[in-house]
Amino acid sequence: MRLFGWFLLTFFTLQANAVEVVVNRGVAGTSLAQASARALFGMRLTKWPDGRPVRVFVLPDGHPVHVALCKEELNLYPYQLRQAWDRLVYSGMAQAPIEVATEEEMISRVATTPGALGYVRRVKANDPVKSLYVE
Amino acid sequence: MIRSRASMSNKAVLFLVAALALPLSPAEAVDLGRGVQAHGFASQSLVYTSDNRVGGNSDDGMATDMREIGGNLSWRPDADWLLSGQVLARWAGQSDAGDLRLDYGFVDRTLITGDASSLGVRLGKIKNPVGFFNTTRDVAQTRPGIIMPQSIYLDRVRNSFLAAPGISLYGNHDYSSGNLAWQVSGVRPELDDPDLTYFMLGDRARGTFHGKDSWFAQAMLESEGGRWRGGVTLSQVSMKYRRGAETLPFTSGSSRLPSWVLSLEHNTENWSLTGEYSQTAVHSQGYSIPLVEQDNTTESWYLQATRRFGGGWQAFLRYDAFYLDKDDRDGGAFAAQAVFTPARVRFAKDWAVGVRRDIGRWAWSGEWHHVDGTAWLSPTDTPVAASKQKWDMLLLQGAWYF
Repeated sequence: MRLFGWFLLTFFTLQANAVEVVVNRGVAGTSLAQASARALFGMRLTKWPDGRPVRVFVLPDGHPVHVALCKEELNLYPYQLRQAWDRLVYSGMAQAPIEVATEEEMISRVATTPGALGYVRRVKANDPVKSLYVE
Repeated sequence: MIRSRASMSNKAVLFLVAALALPLSPAEAVDLGRGVQAHGFASQSLVYTSDNRVGGNSDDGMATDMREIGGNLSWRPDADWLLSGQVLARWAGQSDAGDLRLDYGFVDRTLITGDASSLGVRLGKIKNPVGFFNTTRDVAQTRPGIIMPQSIYLDRVRNSFLAAPGISLYGNHDYSSGNLAWQVSGVRPELDDPDLTYFMLGDRARGTFHGKDSWFAQAMLESEGGRWRGGVTLSQVSMKYRRGAETLPFTSGSSRLPSWVLSLEHNTENWSLTGEYSQTAVHSQGYSIPLVEQDNTTESWYLQATRRFGGGWQAFLRYDAFYLDKDDRDGGAFAAQAVFTPARVRFAKDWAVGVRRDIGRWAWSGEWHHVDGTAWLSPTDTPVAASKQKWDMLLLQGAWYF
């Protein structure tokens, strides 16, 4: 029964998700509540539960994987995330996420930056990052 | 003299922004390492009006004297501390000559952090939270159009209400169903601006206002992912007037402006519907001029529909209404009392339609306004006697930010 549950979960995950949230391997935990994910990617939350600072990496607004992150994991539209960042950044209330151009760059920056948070379409077996399940 | 000083400092800002922007790929903030970030913005507008003047002399041709440029630096030495500062220069006809000023500069300390919430305090010169847009109104990309809805975001007194030195307590709370952001600020506003003196007391007052203890409070609620956003802003700005070399028998009075704004927005993938409603009461005493000391309450509201198309295109339609006295919307009662002051200066009803195209970090916009009334025109640009009640305005703008 438990095995069947795992099978269903894996099958569902493969079907539904076009994006995986990844973190630097030094970040503790295996999952993230959606509210926390939204606060982190929205630049409203600046540290992990262990007190270490979060460094957020993003792909360009129009990138299909960024669109997938917004719609599937955060349940918002990319323009809303952009507006929220701009409101914070140009009133001095928060810093902007760091933009990378490609998924390869995303993997390498997240792998080498302590406290890093990012996302890619699919984590490959030998990628030096950890994937987090968004609840 | 003021002009030349302004142009010197503007060159400095231009240089700073250009130097920071040069090593950029087209869509990137400058991450300077060690937790330091730089951002900047610039815009240039062209204005044509059928009558009246906006952004310089434009009643007989295109005005080009409307632009803004700014840059900010922030430093996050660790997760709990943030230092932020932004400088800005703005040109808008006679009312803004490009003087470089500190837009904000403060220290932010996060006090408590949870799984999806935080609480902190800011100390320094902080932006005043008013409605959806006040805190970033000088960055073209964040505005709902080339000019703000003037009823609530009145440009002619903007310098007095943008930001102020003080202290602010804030909180952000994310839930599975949405998000709450709130802040409460105690400030001492900087009100030494001839445009404010004119706005409060008329063209023959020569003294200056000084800020007294004032406060702003705002709560913004978002349903999941911001489908619905709603907010309340409450504030009270207090000020004292010191008379100058006026010929009128003004004495040094004081004024208090309690105000509230309700904000509501609905967002879908292609549409945003935005509306805000506000009232500001004006209580003045000690001026020895009955017309000035008469209490009144202004009424402001606008509704805007924005449609996003593919390829970075968007278009909007907005109706914006502003009444200096909600009990005298057509200004008739005021004009009957105040000799030489026409009723049209007491209201402004503005239909606006606009388009915008975003290409990377650039935004190109055009919009057309049909306005009935002159309440939000700067009288330093358009003297009351020379103003026309019904007028049209075309604005074109190129804007860039990083």
